[in-house]
Amino acid sequence: MSAALPAASFGGAIDFIFGKQESNVTGGRKVGGLEQALELTLKQLEVTLLALALALVVALPLGLWLGHRGRGELLAVGIGNAGRAIPELALIALVAALIGVGMVTVTPALAVLGVPPILTNAFVGVRQVDRAVVDAARGIGMSELEIVRKVELPLAVPTVMGGVRSAAIAIVATATIAPLAGVVTLGDYIINASIYGEDGRLAGAILVALLALALEGALALVQRLLTSDGLRLQTP
Amino acid sequence: MIAPAAIALAGAVDEGFFRDRSSDTLACEARPDEVFCFGWARENIDRFLTPTLEHLEMVVASVAAGFVVAFALALLAHRRGWLRPPLLAATGVLYTIPSLALFFLLLPLTGLGRTTAIVVLAAYTLQIIYRNTIIGLANVPAATKDAARGMGYTERQVLWRVELPLALPEIVAGLRVATVSTVALATLAVFVGAGGLGTQIYGGGNLTFPTSVLIAAAIVILMALVLEAALLLAQRRLTPWRRARAS
Amino acid sequence: MRGSEAGYRLVAVPSSEPATHTQPAARAGRSASPVSYVGATKRYGPGPPAVDHLDLEVPAGEICVLVGPSGCGKTTAMRMVNRTVELSEGDVLIGDESVRERDPARLRREIGYVIQQVGLFPHRTVAQNIAAVPELLGWEKDRIRARTAELLELIGLDPELGSRYPAQLSGGQQQRVGVARALAADPLVMLMDEPFGAIDPINRERLQNEFLRLQSELRKTVLFVTHDIDEAIKMGDRIAVMREGGRLEQYATPAELLMAPATPFVEDFVGADRALKRLALMRVADVDLWQPATARAGEACAEVRARLAMPDVDVPFPLLLDAAGRPLGWLSERDLAAATVPEQPDSPLGPLLETDDVLRDALADMLQAGAQYAAVADPQGRLAGVLSFEVISDFLGSARAHAPLPRPAEAAPAAPAPPRGGRP
Repeated sequence: MSAALPAASFGGAIDFIFGKQESNVTGGRKVGGLEQALELTLKQLEVTLLALALALVVALPLGLWLGHRGRGELLAVGIGNAGRAIPELALIALVAALIGVGMVTVTPALAVLGVPPILTNAFVGVRQVDRAVVDAARGIGMSELEIVRKVELPLAVPTVMGGVRSAAIAIVATATIAPLAGVVTLGDYIINASIYGEDGRLAGAILVALLALALEGALALVQRLLTSDGLRLQTP
Repeated sequence: MIAPAAIALAGAVDEGFFRDRSSDTLACEARPDEVFCFGWARENIDRFLTPTLEHLEMVVASVAAGFVVAFALALLAHRRGWLRPPLLAATGVLYTIPSLALFFLLLPLTGLGRTTAIVVLAAYTLQIIYRNTIIGLANVPAATKDAARGMGYTERQVLWRVELPLALPEIVAGLRVATVSTVALATLAVFVGAGGLGTQIYGGGNLTFPTSVLIAAAIVILMALVLEAALLLAQRRLTPWRRARAS
Repeated sequence: MRGSEAGYRLVAVPSSEPATHTQPAARAGRSASPVSYVGATKRYGPGPPAVDHLDLEVPAGEICVLVGPSGCGKTTAMRMVNRTVELSEGDVLIGDESVRERDPARLRREIGYVIQQVGLFPHRTVAQNIAAVPELLGWEKDRIRARTAELLELIGLDPELGSRYPAQLSGGQQQRVGVARALAADPLVMLMDEPFGAIDPINRERLQNEFLRLQSELRKTVLFVTHDIDEAIKMGDRIAVMREGGRLEQYATPAELLMAPATPFVEDFVGADRALKRLALMRVADVDLWQPATARAGEACAEVRARLAMPDVDVPFPLLLDAAGRPLGWLSERDLAAATVPEQPDSPLGPLLETDDVLRDALADMLQAGAQYAAVADPQGRLAGVLSFEVISDFLGSARAHAPLPRPAEAAPAAPAPPRGGRP
């Protein structure tokens, strides 16, 4: 694939990110540079966040409700297990071939990958809430919906956010190969190294890694903010 | 796990996606509306054999390597509690960074091929195995450990004869998750020239056609199912006391 | 009726009757070792120590109960013996040997260890749990198997339970397995930390009695920790009362403790009902029982009525005896209206006490049955007399009740009554 390209170096990668380079394959057209890097980064962020939001909308209410009722454990946990076995490369390939390319088809595909962890963790998180607390809430007259909103969800935040973070990791990782389905993200640097060169490929790897870590860090912060003080004191 | 896949498959069959035509690859590829060419599948199934074996080999090697490292780290952190947060963070970073990126971050060091793939796949499994092992060990009742020590077991004997057997269900659960994830993730190994079933999905710089992708995906899912079942069986065998219920 | 079991505590010599189900080998273990605390101290940081210069001598083969309120250091003191707590100062000797000179793991294999939550290994069967220390010591498989079977029988568990897992046993059964596990390697010393604390009261009493029965056969040196003064009095040959700060307040036999508490703390801890507690130390045989009018089947009722009218008979009903002199039941007015005494009495016997019973249990039985009078049988089952509340209160008020009680070693050996069936 790329055996003929000169070896990459970190210095070269940094140069690639910041300054436009000559490309040795596409004859003269410039590649790299901050502007392009930013564009691809934003694209990856965009598709990731949209897919994550979609997955949340679908899986979170369902998981919370199933957990609250105590039903559908097999489904919730089963889908969680099944989701892990989906090969993302195949998913992207099939979407590209059978349904179509572009944001409209790729975003739901990525969301599919995000649903299982969110569903399972929402279910488990709610199930793990102390039954005595729920009984007390019911006893003072809260409606079922209020119980979910005001009691179970806040107490399940750590577990639920754990699921959201897992989903984010899976989605951002698959978004990296989204260029194969027409959504040009940072993964393009990696997949099409023939255009961008080894330096470009390494640059892409660095940027993807940084993006993923930043996203995870942001979500960790969100979790921190959402976790009530009382809960934080409990969990070590 | 089979249920959702079966439902999807049934739906596709219903819509007439699967129609049996000639076994000619080109002819099959030329028909975009046809999802699955049974003819082609029948003729070319043997080209999946080597990739499947490569895939399996990669999975086993990575999970084994990941387990050895994560298990050792967990034993270390079990004794020295201060190690737990940093190790959790370190394994967490390796889990967060997309494997594709990690492949190429490592490339300057290890080059193309199987080694890079196995190292990265193993790195991905570290967090789950490490965390589950720590949790499993932490869940051993204090009274059981107290009794063991009080009876005359040395610290090492307490670990290997009491704590680890009791932590086994958690540990194997982590191993199961790690294995299933690795089976799916190993499809990306094609990007570092490490072979595997990914070659039948993305070969020579292009995506292959749906029939090939579907077969590869089906084999991946099947492999995941089988390995998970095997580990579950092993877990049941190794923990007979969990099935015994109070009479 | 648990009278026989309670009486075992006072027995210093093994039963003269051959045991029906226990092999003699179970009793012929190594002799137990005495345990001595010499200025034993444990400090955790600044402030008062957890155990403060404890000096204590536990004679071999005796149960020493460490009792006191939470935080008095009794558990810490017990754990010094097997070094699950390390001494800060002072020493603990087992026999002549300091525990400090032994390797902790090896030391512990010679000491039986029973804790409140039992701590059975959930992943091993009952038999494997019991075999744990013998395995550590490297016994051969056959010897382990034989010993396990022996112990299961000793603690009264069905041998087939040996292949079950702890989760399949009840709390009481688990605790018994814990005791068997501790006894497996025939230890010199047994440490027991509130072993029956987590059991319900009914089973707790049963387990206590069974352990006392075991102890009468095995005569181990036992250090027993509890916060319950009643348990201490029942189980202990000697009791060490401790208070916060790890200080020993009094070390004495139960009788001395009840009759002569050394300090206000001990007096308080033992409780204001000391007199009542003494009922646990006295036996029915110590008391002057009433002698009822007796009758045998076939005798003329007129004669029985005459006996009943005698001045020194305090019991208003005659007692029907069988040919051997064993009580069968009480005769009512209706019975005596006939010409001869019937074979079957009108009223059932009610609680049947034994001379070996402790007064506390006898009183409890009478109260439970709502019986004002209870027949008392001797070890052979023959009528010894009748006990009533009046008899008991007379006795408590008399000079005899306040006389110094014999120490355990001096108690007259009494053969335990054979098990009898058909108790009311």
